[in-house]
Amino acid sequence: MAKLQKSQSSVLVEPVYSSVITLLIIVTACVELCDAVTVVDVYRLVQYDLGGVPFGSRLAALNHHAASSLFSSSGAAADLSRTVLILPVRELNLTFIREYIGERKPLGGLLLLLPPVFSPEHTDIGGGADHDSAKDLVKEVLIEVERLLIHANIPYPVYFGFEDEHVNAMLADIKKNDATGQPATATTGGYKLVVAAPEPRKIASPTIANIQGWLPGLKADGDSNQLPTIAVVASYDTFGAAPALSVGSDSNGSGVVALLEIARLFSILYSNPKTRGRYNLLFALTSGGPYNYNGTHKWLHSLDQRLRETIDYAICLNSIGSSSDELWIHVSKPPENAYIKQIFEGFSSVSEELGLKVGLKHKKINISNPRVAWEHEQFSRLRVTAATLSELSVAPDFLEATGGLSDNRNYVNEALIRKSVKLVAESLARHIYGQQGKNIDIFADDSNLSLNPSYIRSWLEFLSTTPRMAPLLSKNDPLIMALKKELADHTVEVNIQQEVLDGMFTFYDSTSGRLHIYQVASVTFDLLLLLVLGSYLIMLFSFLVIITRGLDDLISLFRRPTSRKVKTA
Amino acid sequence: MTIFHFFNCAILTFGPHAVYYSATPLSEYDTIGTSIRAAVVYLITALVKLVCLATFLKVSESDSFDPYQELLKALIGFIDVAGLYFALTQLAHRNISQNHKFQAVGLGWAFADSVLHRLAPLWVGARGLEFTWDYILQGLEANANLVLSISLAALGSLMWLRKNKPKTLIPIIYACAGIVATMPSITSYLRQGLGWHFPKVVGFELFTSLVMAFISWQLFAACQRPSN
Repeated sequence: MAKLQKSQSSVLVEPVYSSVITLLIIVTACVELCDAVTVVDVYRLVQYDLGGVPFGSRLAALNHHAASSLFSSSGAAADLSRTVLILPVRELNLTFIREYIGERKPLGGLLLLLPPVFSPEHTDIGGGADHDSAKDLVKEVLIEVERLLIHANIPYPVYFGFEDEHVNAMLADIKKNDATGQPATATTGGYKLVVAAPEPRKIASPTIANIQGWLPGLKADGDSNQLPTIAVVASYDTFGAAPALSVGSDSNGSGVVALLEIARLFSILYSNPKTRGRYNLLFALTSGGPYNYNGTHKWLHSLDQRLRETIDYAICLNSIGSSSDELWIHVSKPPENAYIKQIFEGFSSVSEELGLKVGLKHKKINISNPRVAWEHEQFSRLRVTAATLSELSVAPDFLEATGGLSDNRNYVNEALIRKSVKLVAESLARHIYGQQGKNIDIFADDSNLSLNPSYIRSWLEFLSTTPRMAPLLSKNDPLIMALKKELADHTVEVNIQQEVLDGMFTFYDSTSGRLHIYQVASVTFDLLLLLVLGSYLIMLFSFLVIITRGLDDLISLFRRPTSRKVKTA
Repeated sequence: MTIFHFFNCAILTFGPHAVYYSATPLSEYDTIGTSIRAAVVYLITALVKLVCLATFLKVSESDSFDPYQELLKALIGFIDVAGLYFALTQLAHRNISQNHKFQAVGLGWAFADSVLHRLAPLWVGARGLEFTWDYILQGLEANANLVLSISLAALGSLMWLRKNKPKTLIPIIYACAGIVATMPSITSYLRQGLGWHFPKVVGFELFTSLVMAFISWQLFAACQRPSN
């Protein structure tokens, strides 16, 4: 029999042919291309260590079959360790996912599909004010998911993607397969998801950059140092479940926009000696906001001691662009304090004219607690009077309300930002020019000191499309340069202070990738194909032999070896 | 599993050539040299065709069907016939019968065509993760092309090598050869002019190739009879 096979194969594949084929295969081996049915951008879950404890998604590379539900493969839990689960956030079951992540069950990977409204590029809604209930519901779910994922240690890659027609079509297909009870594995085909990403690397010594600018007041006859200073501060960086999607339109893009507009308004006032106030104005854009306002801490400590003592008070702007017409002034000193009273009365009198509601919230500082919930607490710890203006009524928890996934342009109300700018600017101006309690409108709408809505809009748009997680920004990042240049247009002595981020944070790179979706055939299919092709070739061979040499030849072809065997025997 | 798929497609694309060679008397008379020479002639013809296409054809921006350009393309396609004529009549062959000569030439011709046009896409595409039917269809197309090449070679040998053929059959032979030679243009018209999809085009090619093979077989047999 062995002899038969040998003679058969040598007849079937001529040595010249095979050598030609192998030569050509070697020649074309250098051509290595792959084409995918769909390539989409995906954004990886943040990966960081806090005091050596790992958090977030610990892997970046993905190469598994896709499935749409946790329970499709009945009983085969081990199967899921080689499966990418695709879950649209729209129809996410929070309790299941919480349990699944909580129990650290194995999974090949997780792809969470966000509705396109959460994409930074999605800006077809002009005002951003039209909230419908479904949208808000998704937002709440997203906040929950984000909180869950940020504080979990997940040993598989987790990616965020956006729903589009290709992805939805694939998902529908996968769901159909799952419904028939076929788990997606190598033997049944289906879809394969591939993200080619290198091992995430630690970011060596993450830096944070604070930007400050001055508007010096008009010196009296004495020294300028004698002039009191008012500081306007906003932190500009973000932290979210997906660093590449953390644009933070509200937290704290709105604060940055407001600060820039206030700087612009006062630069007009201060450019004319007649209207230059008797106060220095200090504008600071701080970094490291999500990490207990580490940048503010560094910046305050690096300020000259004498200069710091001239600060009359500081206004910190934080998340002032969404929700209702209600703002809160958060302070650390008791409300009975004379300065606090003065600030609050200044704000509340203006707010009544603007139709805003402003409340006062007092929260004592616990020095032993490392958590700094509000930016003004960094000032208060150094005994500088400060307050935070925010729409949030209670202090956010660590790494929350820092510009995550759900915080984007579509949820920010531009009109409210304008009102807040007016509120801060007007009350500051009344304080500076000694017009407290008087009903004057310094930044009236039709004057040359009116707010510039297009300026606010363009900056809001820019910030809403720029992810700003501080450790991932380079020293000369275009964002930092743009903020510096903008501040330099309105103020003087603008400088950038580069600091190393304190604390026990370690961050990892590889924040986004490209997901290749392949529709793959199963092994069974290939085996079947091989069978069909083999029989086709055998039939062709028999047919050709019969018509060219006759049936007897074909039969003798199979008989010959056996007859030889008989002869030798 | 993609290498597996690649081999499947390769078997479908190149297998029939090997089977044809081994199953027919070609292998007994050792006509591989003739086939290789025909393949070399095909290579040269393909080069000449490329130069002609590059010289005379405009690069069309759109995929639309332009009759004038297609006519030019069809004319350039007849360079193939010239190449086949050269391979059949001018090459010095060892003493093999005309019967085997045209088969060897047709086989070498079709194999060279398959290697040139299909091996590289196959290697690049069929090994990717993505599954499509394209490469299986392409393999079927290679089969149709093998049949067509051998038919054309048979008709060519009737036209140029056989002197005493029945007068009544001559126009039929020329007409058939013309149809077979314009097959590439016809398929490109079907694909672009009529917007047929690849599976339909391949089905058409398979069908016509079988029909043409049958006709040329009958013609060949008819020409054989009076001489003997």
